[in-house]
Amino acid sequence: MTAMLRSFKGAALTALLPVAIALLVIALGDGAQVRILSVFLINLILVIGLQIFMGNSNIVNLGHITFMGIAGYAAAILTIPVNIKQTIIPHAPFGLATFQLGPIEAGIAAIVLAMLVALLVGVVITRESGISATILTLALLVIIHTVLANWVDLTRGMRALYGVPMKANAWVLLAAAVLAIFVGRWFRDSPAGVQLRASGESRIAAESSGVDVRRLRLVAWVLGSGVVGLGGVLYVYLLGSVSPKSFYFDTTLLTLAMLILGGMHSISGAVVGVIVVTAGFEVMRYFETSPVIFGVKLPEFLGLTGFFLGLIIVLSMAIRPKGLVGTDEIDETWERRRQAKSAQASASPAEHSRA
Amino acid sequence: MEYLVQQVLNALSIGGNYALLALGLAIVFSVIGLVNFAYGEVIAVAGYVMFAVFMVSGIEYAVLLMPVGVLAAIGISVALERVAFRPVRYAPAATGLLTAFGVSIVIRNFFVTLVATRSKAVPTPQWLGYQIDIGIARIQVIQILETSVTALALLLLVFILRRTNIGLAMRAAARDFDMVRMVGINANKVIAAAFAVSGFLAGLAAIFIIARRGVVDPFMGFTPVLKAFVAAVLGGFGSLPGAVVGGFLLGALEVFFQIVLPSSIAGYRDAFVFVLVSVILVWRPQGLVGTKRQFGDKDE
Repeated sequence: MTAMLRSFKGAALTALLPVAIALLVIALGDGAQVRILSVFLINLILVIGLQIFMGNSNIVNLGHITFMGIAGYAAAILTIPVNIKQTIIPHAPFGLATFQLGPIEAGIAAIVLAMLVALLVGVVITRESGISATILTLALLVIIHTVLANWVDLTRGMRALYGVPMKANAWVLLAAAVLAIFVGRWFRDSPAGVQLRASGESRIAAESSGVDVRRLRLVAWVLGSGVVGLGGVLYVYLLGSVSPKSFYFDTTLLTLAMLILGGMHSISGAVVGVIVVTAGFEVMRYFETSPVIFGVKLPEFLGLTGFFLGLIIVLSMAIRPKGLVGTDEIDETWERRRQAKSAQASASPAEHSRA
Repeated sequence: MEYLVQQVLNALSIGGNYALLALGLAIVFSVIGLVNFAYGEVIAVAGYVMFAVFMVSGIEYAVLLMPVGVLAAIGISVALERVAFRPVRYAPAATGLLTAFGVSIVIRNFFVTLVATRSKAVPTPQWLGYQIDIGIARIQVIQILETSVTALALLLLVFILRRTNIGLAMRAAARDFDMVRMVGINANKVIAAAFAVSGFLAGLAAIFIIARRGVVDPFMGFTPVLKAFVAAVLGGFGSLPGAVVGGFLLGALEVFFQIVLPSSIAGYRDAFVFVLVSVILVWRPQGLVGTKRQFGDKDE
């Protein structure tokens, strides 16, 4: 019980910074800033979903955005009003063009669908380790993207589906992000999470201690996919429209960069990575659009954002290869430092007396 | 019959291109365990240097631009190792992967900032597109060149790996790098050589890619390298013969699905290719040519 309490405390501490940022922006920010906040919160959910599998199992995952796509499209197709569906996707299979659901029912159905698909492909993917597992996740991304982009009757192909009720505001997103932080931290500290992390460090040692590596990988894969699916649903509810290109390599690489930059083995790392990259992006975007600094109008530099994002990644990998946060959660590191300090404090008088 | 021969040649030339790139990825991976996702940008750099030389000198004679492209690819490949990959040489695989992503983002946006997002034309020799009638089929000059240059490059590589000291060191490093260093071979030299060979292969591939497209743009390397990555894993990642087998197999699969899929579902070609790739990987996770690893073998 105390262990669970500790991980809830840790999760609350981790959630503190994003919550503070969100409250500040909601209270003081204008429309554009709230929009940046909303995208930030969605990225946070996606990155935590990615962390649950990748950070614990130590398998590089390039396929997580697949589940954002599946859940996002499912939620969109279920919630678009029937009259709009009759114009844009009249021939949708399974009679999907003839009814509509409320956003909550549709969202739950979409996440369940994403987790079911994750379970099916996960049975295969979790058999493999290392680079071939990574390629399988990559293949999954390509396959599902190809289907989404070509199944014109259901998804309208490369053209956008529109008319989704825009039900996600900053409060909803914040609540979901905090939920994701708690779920991610709870899994990481749960017996399953600890065993899975052990298997990530040494599969032989974990298996010889009786850890069922494949089953635990599957659990993490499905859970993580559900969280990513939640992010996909909210993304669609935020934008009101959806197209396949949102669920491909750009989003995959961005979220991956955020996670590894912060530190993929912890939830704190995921949070820090998303904050740092988002902040860096906004600063660079300012410079990109020919700002006036000290009365000098700088020229417009397209691509500057990306240039510096890349540079930050390369530099931080060279300087801190385990990510900004490192292997442990922030509260764990603090706790250890505190204990070390108090141990030192109690040890030093003894040394004095000996001297 | 004629159609069949033509498609086989198609598969060979596409597969040859994948094989070159897969080999370039595999040689770096086998020596230092780096999945070099910045490899596509080596191709882009080769293309842009050719473009720059063309703009400055006005050389219309495209054959002269080709060696420039290959040299540029070798140069940037070795330079990237020195600047970006050396600091993360002993870090976990995910770190190297992300460094490579970072490098590729930097280079891509460098071109976006300084040149343009739009594509730029590079002159290519007219005669590459000529068709030759060899009796049973009409084939393009570029297809012959692509297949034969790939074959020559492979022979050259086999020669280097088998008959030179640095080649022997590279092969040994693929097995056990620590041992190579213990017998007194300079690690930096071996790694630089691997990146130089890798850049050379990218340069060759870049010439054919540009000859087909006629233009360069910042994103031109991404898809070919992604395919090459899949090809390399298909053959057995880190295995050099595997990379070649995987490259040609992937080329054959793509051409095969191009032919057999009816036009109504032709858009799903990549999905079919990747499903088949997944099936092969589940069947043989170590790749077609790779040897099965036991737990406790040297980690990749």
